[in-house]
Amino acid sequence: MSDQHVHGPRRTHPLTPLLTGWKVLAGVVAVLLAQNISALVDEFTWRRALLGGGILLGIALLAVVLSAVSWWRTTYEISEDGVTLRSGLLTLTRRVAPRERIESVSVERPLLARLAGLAKVRVEMAGGGESHLDLAYVTARDAEEIRTRILRVAAEIPQDAPAPGESAEAPVGPTGAAAGGPAPAPSGIGASAPAEHPEAALAAEHPESAFAAGHPEAALAADRRSDRLRAALHDGVTGGELIAQIPTSRLIRSLLRDVSLLVGAVFAVLWAAFSIGLLLTVEGYGFASLAVALPIALGLVRSAFSRVESGWGFVSRNTDTGLRMRRGLLNTRTDNIGSGRVQDITLHRPLLWRGPGWTRAAVTVAGIDATDDAKATSVLPVGTREELARTFGHLVPGLGTEDDSSLIEHLLTAPAAELGGTGPRSRLYFVGRRTRRVLVLPGAIAVRSGILTKRVQIVPRERIQGLSLAQGPIARRVGSATLSVGIAGSSAELHDLPLADALALQETLAADARSGRRYDRERTWPQPPLAGRPALAAAAR
Amino acid sequence: MTEIGPSPAPAADAPPARSPETWAERAGLLGAAGLKPVSEKLIPARYLSQAVGAVLSLALVAGCVWLVIRFDWWWMWILAILPVLWTLPGLLLTPRRVRALGYLDGEHELVTASGLMFRSVTTTPYGRVQSVEINEGPIARRFGIARLTFSTASTDSGGWIDGLPREEAERLKELLTRRGIERMQSL
Repeated sequence: MSDQHVHGPRRTHPLTPLLTGWKVLAGVVAVLLAQNISALVDEFTWRRALLGGGILLGIALLAVVLSAVSWWRTTYEISEDGVTLRSGLLTLTRRVAPRERIESVSVERPLLARLAGLAKVRVEMAGGGESHLDLAYVTARDAEEIRTRILRVAAEIPQDAPAPGESAEAPVGPTGAAAGGPAPAPSGIGASAPAEHPEAALAAEHPESAFAAGHPEAALAADRRSDRLRAALHDGVTGGELIAQIPTSRLIRSLLRDVSLLVGAVFAVLWAAFSIGLLLTVEGYGFASLAVALPIALGLVRSAFSRVESGWGFVSRNTDTGLRMRRGLLNTRTDNIGSGRVQDITLHRPLLWRGPGWTRAAVTVAGIDATDDAKATSVLPVGTREELARTFGHLVPGLGTEDDSSLIEHLLTAPAAELGGTGPRSRLYFVGRRTRRVLVLPGAIAVRSGILTKRVQIVPRERIQGLSLAQGPIARRVGSATLSVGIAGSSAELHDLPLADALALQETLAADARSGRRYDRERTWPQPPLAGRPALAAAAR
Repeated sequence: MTEIGPSPAPAADAPPARSPETWAERAGLLGAAGLKPVSEKLIPARYLSQAVGAVLSLALVAGCVWLVIRFDWWWMWILAILPVLWTLPGLLLTPRRVRALGYLDGEHELVTASGLMFRSVTTTPYGRVQSVEINEGPIARRFGIARLTFSTASTDSGGWIDGLPREEAERLKELLTRRGIERMQSL
């Protein structure tokens, strides 16, 4: 399997039309039923029922035939130049993800697809808007193989080279359990295998990573079985050094410590009590007030559920193609974020997470739409200090200080006045001057903000694209200005700085922006200090 | 309000000790020191493109006044003021807005500035520019000026320069493209 460089044109799984088409069909049936249900029941005759059923069957058949033809015409191809997707019934459309524009690859497994043992591969490209390519649906095992291939194409690793850190890539999903091991890449070459021998302490802490990252040929049969089980549980995210793993108990506790959810829940309970009271005392208003609260309650449940979904069973590991993450309760997904692709990282510490010291971290990657529930870019839904330090060390080239992780902790906890750096000074910004600080560190700028939820945005200085200084009439009177630091796909807003500081910062950062990285091969870029060097993970602790 | 901060003019920060040359510099606008002004032809061009709106609002005002006189609807005066408020600032401020525009193709980066009341100064290194575009509408063509738009990978930076003489726009486009290739920086 590893001898072929090109993944020739292939079709997606034959079940694809069913998985993509069932919603449309269900929608048609639901609309028809909902609009005519009373008429249907009132005037029920067998003749009509047969006629209606026949029409529905006809529509279904037509839909199936059409989608089958469209499935037949849809092929994907992975070559050294990138990924190509051809589709279309009459006019052939050809969508290409060129090699150099591929930012990341994620494998998503919505509930239905998961039941069928299928998965969707999404190739994220640099660029705004709808810049992704979906290969849907393929078998879970194929998905893993495709993912590996695309990432290797993107990273310009020859297809026959081994993949360190992903070596024990056991087949996954219900269908995967049958095959022994067409692991996309057998382990090998030591020189390019930094993650091959995870450092001892970590291995002892998580015994599974000992063989996960190690030697499949040496693994015993019993190990293999548990390996396979674990691979199925973790969607194949078993290879490589463990960076973060979120136990369910921590996830639940983090939700219970979420102020907005708590306030919402308390409000919902109070409202329900009020409505019931109304129901018992005054005629006719109770139901109405319950009905008013219903959408809000549903929204609350939905947001809580999406939080659960985005953190459930979260595992992230370091592989040679970047950070690999798995998450999801009903719909599972695995994402891949290359360390060279991260434009900035934002850390959040809500009020009640300060006690246990938990942090939420999200990154910006050019091309991955942040509005898409930000699942792929949420690199740590709720992590401990050690996990944050490891995640940070594997994704960002570092702040350039002696002890980055304690500095980050300091940024997340200390009052603004103790942070140093610069920030709003005028008395006009009575909130900002107590919460906002900007620190220029050797490797990055750190922007702290937030009253209850402490927020720290860290932008590596070499990523700065441009600067914009803005000043309105009020700011002119108090002698301040807002500096906006542009990075690909996002920006960092340094609000209301004193004018002199803003001008000085603009000078410094403009120099960074122009002397940043020259366009060159990715491997010569500055790498995160911990990426591919597990021995340092302990030092970061 | 609290004590007034340093004077709005960044005079203390302007490195070259020379007499201000452009209107924007003399007015002490933020970051105006050393910037090149755009063509004054932009002023009539902008007036011309505002003409349709101005004529329309004049017609509205005339209509309102006529209603006031004809039917004695005194409250129509209030309605008559609205189009005036809508158009007058544009008519009055256009010359100053145009003179507040500025740009500088420096050694390493392109600096653009715009705005009178709400002013913004953008710095874009040549190596970060992703695309350059010259727009030339029918009115602008008549006056021999063009608008240069450039963008970076960031949604926030990038910008535009309006009212460039056509040769200057071509020169800047050439410069941005050439320097962009020379100093190409990745994301």
